[in-house]
Amino acid sequence: MTVTLRRLGRRALLTAASVLFLTYVLAPVAWMASSSFQPETEITSVPPHWIPHAPTLDNFRAIFTTGEKAVTYETRRQGDPATGKFIPSTAKNLLPGMANSLIVALSVAGLNLLVSIPAAYAMAKVRFVGRSASIYLMLTTRVIPDIALVVPFFLFIRKLGLLDNLASLIITYLAITVPFSVFILLGYFESLPDELDKAARVDGCSRLQALLRVFLPLALPSLVAVTLFTFLTSWNEFLLALMFTQTPASQTMPIIVASFTSDFTISFSFINAAGVLAVVPPIILAVMFERYIVSGLTAGAVKG
Amino acid sequence: MPPVGGRFHYPVSAYDQRSAMVLLAPMMLVLLAVAVFPVLYSFWVSLFDLKLTRPLRVPFVGLENYVHVFRDALFWTSVARTATFTVMSVAAIMVIALLMALLLNEQFRGRRVLSAVLLIPWAIPYVANALMWKWIYDSGYGALNGLLYQLDFIDKYMVWLGDTRKTLALIANAFVWKEVPLATILLLVTMKSIPADLYGAAKVDGADVWRRFMHVTLPLLRPGFTLVMIYETMMAVRHFDLFFILTEGGPADASHVVAWEVYVETFRRLSFGTGSALAYIVALVTFLLAYSIIRTMGRKL
Repeated sequence: MTVTLRRLGRRALLTAASVLFLTYVLAPVAWMASSSFQPETEITSVPPHWIPHAPTLDNFRAIFTTGEKAVTYETRRQGDPATGKFIPSTAKNLLPGMANSLIVALSVAGLNLLVSIPAAYAMAKVRFVGRSASIYLMLTTRVIPDIALVVPFFLFIRKLGLLDNLASLIITYLAITVPFSVFILLGYFESLPDELDKAARVDGCSRLQALLRVFLPLALPSLVAVTLFTFLTSWNEFLLALMFTQTPASQTMPIIVASFTSDFTISFSFINAAGVLAVVPPIILAVMFERYIVSGLTAGAVKG
Repeated sequence: MPPVGGRFHYPVSAYDQRSAMVLLAPMMLVLLAVAVFPVLYSFWVSLFDLKLTRPLRVPFVGLENYVHVFRDALFWTSVARTATFTVMSVAAIMVIALLMALLLNEQFRGRRVLSAVLLIPWAIPYVANALMWKWIYDSGYGALNGLLYQLDFIDKYMVWLGDTRKTLALIANAFVWKEVPLATILLLVTMKSIPADLYGAAKVDGADVWRRFMHVTLPLLRPGFTLVMIYETMMAVRHFDLFFILTEGGPADASHVVAWEVYVETFRRLSFGTGSALAYIVALVTFLLAYSIIRTMGRKL
């Protein structure tokens, strides 16, 4: 009797806690999604409509329909409050912005692997003079705050003539991602037995062959985790992109989205639609690869 | 050549040395170019009175920029703002993450769903997080006003971010929401590493749930807490994105944090010398904070 009562109590407690948990995590995102489907008349209702009464796709349509109209003084004010539209003509910049983000994120993810894998392998499995020095260098660079890098980066990028060029973002994002990736891969390679390395060498493999044929296939989970972190970091990065990009030619998604939020003539339902598009790719990746991400995060942190 | 590091007690083979150098070369190149060089260059720049509004005259001023920063009242205001923001955020993150980790540490149906959902705030961009909260806090039509009004906590809509007394706490709330998942994951790993027989022994000794939590779980979570504290302190001290989108340092100087001061000094006043000095101070303070947290909390490990 008391046992079943206690079990019931436990279940009730867990259910209540789970509901609180889900509300805390999901409510803000759900509200953003709900707002993105509301027309202007609804989004300004007091108190708010938690679920849209007359859902509309207008906000998304403005982003996805390609604009053939040239932006002139007249059409620039397409989002004029008087017309009741509140959707900016710059809505069309969002998709190119996302394309820029994708190019940057994929390039950084690829380059990051090329740089990090050999370094992590060497630190984990090869005995050489300067090994601890290189590990300390990697650890130190990992804690440099990005805000401290902004000024020298800017002067440097300006001198190279790379302002407003995607290359500037790809180069500087490596500074944020490489130390972290090397750190995670190093931990993973170290956990693989040394005997694997020795056996491969006895069979006549060179160092590079041992890495490519023996270690890379085994390290696949950590490679997935590292690639995901790098991709998400680059996709989400704001501060450096804000400094180095000036025109829609190189502006990434976060910059375009941020520019919407500072314009008071733009409807919040449209801003939320832009927000929804910005969060969909990362959420899909996170939920699909949850296991890899969690194990990567814990491996990257536990020894940190 | 004998090995320099104390780790190896026998000579290093020339082949290993060579292949290690080749394997390390790309990373070294990247780190030197995008981390070591910028940090040194930044220090060099901070010794000059470099203003982009006056590009032809760049006098050497030694440590004058640092003196200038430390004499500036606004700098000390921003330090106070950053300190308040950091303490509020880190404390809230630790409490909420602890509660969430305790829940996820139980076995029940639906636990897997919760841990997948938990990654959502972690994965989304800070820009999206910022616009989401900006809309929630909106004084005209926001969800916070709507909710409190419908629940009868307020009888008319209020100003939130525009209120100097509330703004920092509200920004901290947005920051906490995004940072809690990582902290939860880190605490959960530590929690799972606590041996089950410790709980068994405590049970035999007659300890109830609360006592087991206070005397077994909390003390053994110390390494996890240390880690979360270091990491989140470093993130909070340097945080910029939310301040840029939500308040631009305002209203007045209510959210004028150090990271925002670096931005304003460099990219609005175009004074790169003092901007570099400021950035250097931020970097040093971050290092010192991390170090002192490790020392004070790590000692009792």
